[in-house]
Amino acid sequence: MNKYNMCVIPAFPLENVQLLKDRVVFPYACFLAFGESLRLVTKKTGDYPYLSYLEGAQLVTLPEDQPHMDAAVSYVTDHINEIDLLFLFGARGEYIELVQTYKTLRPDGIIYLKLDTNIDWANALPLFDESFSSFLKNCDIISCEARRLQTLLYKKWQRPVEYIPNGVYYPLYPDAANVRYEDKENMILTVGRLGTMQKNSLLLLYAYALTFVELNEPWELVMIGSIMPEFQADYDDFCKRFPTLAPHIHLTGNIADKQTLYRYYKKAKIFALPSRAEGGSPNVFSEAAIFGCTVVTTGVDAAPDMTDNGRVGRISPNTEDIDGFAKELTALCRDPKYLARNFHDMRAYMREFFDYERLAERLHILVDLQQLKRRPS
Amino acid sequence: MNLRITETCITLEEGAETFMLLEKLLIPDYQNVTARPYITFYYKESETIWERFRLCMERLTAFCPEDPYLGCYALMFRRLYTLLLSSSQSKNVIAYGPSTDCGAYKVFQDFMTFLQEGSALTALAWSPYSFAALTNSASSALLYRLDTCPVLTAVCDAMEKIKTGGLLLFYTLRDDFSSELRPLLDRAEKDSFGSCTVYALTMDEFLSDFAQANSSESIILSRAEEIEKRVSDLRGLTQAMLAGASLPEDTYTITAVILQQTEEILLSIYDYLENDELPILANALKEAVLNYYVGIDGGHDLTTYREKLSQASEAFFTAIEREFQ
Repeated sequence: MNKYNMCVIPAFPLENVQLLKDRVVFPYACFLAFGESLRLVTKKTGDYPYLSYLEGAQLVTLPEDQPHMDAAVSYVTDHINEIDLLFLFGARGEYIELVQTYKTLRPDGIIYLKLDTNIDWANALPLFDESFSSFLKNCDIISCEARRLQTLLYKKWQRPVEYIPNGVYYPLYPDAANVRYEDKENMILTVGRLGTMQKNSLLLLYAYALTFVELNEPWELVMIGSIMPEFQADYDDFCKRFPTLAPHIHLTGNIADKQTLYRYYKKAKIFALPSRAEGGSPNVFSEAAIFGCTVVTTGVDAAPDMTDNGRVGRISPNTEDIDGFAKELTALCRDPKYLARNFHDMRAYMREFFDYERLAERLHILVDLQQLKRRPS
Repeated sequence: MNLRITETCITLEEGAETFMLLEKLLIPDYQNVTARPYITFYYKESETIWERFRLCMERLTAFCPEDPYLGCYALMFRRLYTLLLSSSQSKNVIAYGPSTDCGAYKVFQDFMTFLQEGSALTALAWSPYSFAALTNSASSALLYRLDTCPVLTAVCDAMEKIKTGGLLLFYTLRDDFSSELRPLLDRAEKDSFGSCTVYALTMDEFLSDFAQANSSESIILSRAEEIEKRVSDLRGLTQAMLAGASLPEDTYTITAVILQQTEEILLSIYDYLENDELPILANALKEAVLNYYVGIDGGHDLTTYREKLSQASEAFFTAIEREFQ
């Protein structure tokens, strides 16, 4: 199998926190699996202390006096022979010139585009624009993060689009190896910016109320994340209306310290995702799942993927259906045997299908197949 | 580009360049029988063909003043004129490329109806699919704008609709075409003026065979054969995997290559598939094969990977059987 000189070019300058997100972590897993080298090419936005987690990766900072993408195009032009595999993140117009330049100078080079999109966004892409559709055509491998989206894209683009979910790079989560079901509590957890339109937190609050009255033993609801003022007002109102529930609901605010956050994942039996939309499966889902939480989610694009079509989690399809979400939540809370068994099933499922190291192996073969296609038969 | 219309001739003009489209014949050809008189006759009670043709040319200029294809329409009208006068039979002309309310179509239709009430110009919508609705070998002429769909299968689908002896007119503002169209265009008579070019052919046995061999129907049949060959190989390979046989390492890559080819062939006939999810089912099977291989390579538990492979192969082969048998 071949080894490749890899290069990651984001559409916008990288921030430190993004070094440990999908846009960098997946290429990094690929670098470890089949890379000769890995360069992260960006204009500097500050210090990059997280680079220490990515041993072997090289950060190339672009000159300050040019716009990010112009400088990236110049960089690619000057270092064309050192880039065999170009990683792009997002089907963004910013990439049009870069892709054209790379393909002109390196027709044998391979471009991998990770779409990082949801159905609404993908549906709105300007396919009628010749330069944009040429950019997509020039990407040798395109992947999306949800099977439902993959089906849409096949029909819309009529070209191969691989399914590669937002995964987990396990070396970043050593704590997940030691988690035990026995240490878990009757806790429902959610993580996200509470009160934003997208996160739909109010649905969870009221679904929890409906669930609470159905249960023989109390379950705690922990909501982690920065709180929108509107949600704080809704929450206060909720507590006034249901004073008996108030002590069981905990708004922690944002938790920046990962170890503290992981402690919640370790304790929670259920992870709730009441979102109206997500681009693929969110990071918080992956984190919760590897800590053995059973997920209950609304019918976001990646809901069937996150739950293996309902096997390792529950889906309430309608994003506005409080009763439906409460029904699923109640069913889970009342089924301790399922939760205990699913603790293992969920973790196994994540290892098998969301582990970035395994996904990188699959991408390796896909990249090799692209190389094979170019050879005369 | 202008049309210059006089009592005796019609020319295309651009700068100092001119192109003679048609001259008024002094001696009528009475072999061409139509309901209308060809030139002014003794009792001049109605409009003659020549007069109407001139009027239509004037309308062409009026209806398409800014249209860059004006020259093409005029050049085609010159060719159509002869065809329409060739017999007293009603004629069907099919037109593909511009929007269906194109001004030139109105002019052509007017002239055709003038000559023979039953003649019809059928303007097709912008989709190569629209040819499927028409009967083969039933039309007298084809007006095909190459710039709209310069694809051989679409061109051949259109050609199949024209009867032997019928007129094929391909028009364009471009001069670069894919090599697949060259054998066809190289046989054509070419009228060029300014940026406008019209390729004219008469439908004969050779062209009929050529159209049949390259039409979407024949492409679909040959693609279906290619798929069947691959599916037969794939069935054997996946069965061996599911049986837990010890297979050479490259078996998985070879299977993925065959699946990738199958997926691409399926996408190439996507518009004609009854089940439009077939390509994605091929992709899902490829993914399951690769996951299974990654599982083997990494020494992982294969139970779930085998289950997924089994599900994906069953879904794919069942759908393929339904589609092609």
